[in-house]
Amino acid sequence: MNIKWLRIDSRLIHGQVANNWVNHVGAGTIIATNDSAAKDDLRKTLLLQVAPGRTKSYVMTVDKTARCYKNPTYKDLDVLMVVESPKDVLRLMDQGVDVTQVNVGGITFKEGMTLISEAVSVSREDVEAFKELDKRGIKLILQQLPNTQASDFMNRLKSKNLV
Amino acid sequence: MVAIVIATHGNLSEALIGTAKMIFGTMEHIAEVTFKPGEGIEHLLDKYQKASDGLGDDQVLFLVDLFGGSPYNAASRFVARKPSMDVVSGVNLPMLIEVLGKRLAGASLEELVQTATAAGTDGIKSFKDVFSHQKIANSAQEDEGDELG
Repeated sequence: MNIKWLRIDSRLIHGQVANNWVNHVGAGTIIATNDSAAKDDLRKTLLLQVAPGRTKSYVMTVDKTARCYKNPTYKDLDVLMVVESPKDVLRLMDQGVDVTQVNVGGITFKEGMTLISEAVSVSREDVEAFKELDKRGIKLILQQLPNTQASDFMNRLKSKNLV
Repeated sequence: MVAIVIATHGNLSEALIGTAKMIFGTMEHIAEVTFKPGEGIEHLLDKYQKASDGLGDDQVLFLVDLFGGSPYNAASRFVARKPSMDVVSGVNLPMLIEVLGKRLAGASLEELVQTATAAGTDGIKSFKDVFSHQKIANSAQEDEGDELG
């Protein structure tokens, strides 16, 4: 499996992902990797409903994604992968998924989180996971849409005194 | 690049572009034309001329709100003798987003017209209707093995 683009987006599959990123990165397959969505039949059905018709879409747990990643049947498959949090990126890596860069696209604000950009907020737990990703040499890019400005995510955390 | 002019009754055109930015990000070679109470076809023709001059593109696609309305009628008159321009009515957000995406990928005017008419209608769906034709996910069964699904 060839992960053309790995994106953190708490909405997983939605308009921006479906319309813009799929075309931009040239992936024919979207995998939304999220344990709770994969185990929630209604949410899973709805996520698959909004995925664009021409792409194959899947909603799977982290464990299953990692298993499929290693399945040689999919060695030539170009994938846009979406996860909810940086922690899930670490979990994928710990199960043998190769990651070199991550697009931090959207994390919805909840009580107790710090606003980083228009579309991204981080919790204390997220910051720890991002620090670990950074330590592992992963390039973290803050970018909402293909044609909006990309910036270095760790620099952004530093400027907010979060690291 | 094919320029896009969105022309509507009232401020819908401005609002549509503002909303599209939220989903699509920055865009160029696009202009809005509003048709206000008290204005006529001549005002619209004048606004279309200014908009297309301002954009400076040979090719222009007009996306207008109502088939048969003044923005449509004026646009039809404006493009009638210009082979590099066309008008599509019924503009909505799905139509605009698809057209912007295809345009970025280098689509021709003819392709954009096709995209606009298809996307404009494809975006209209009833949730219950889609849902009743969709296989409901069964996560318990699907969380096994190493095959996609």
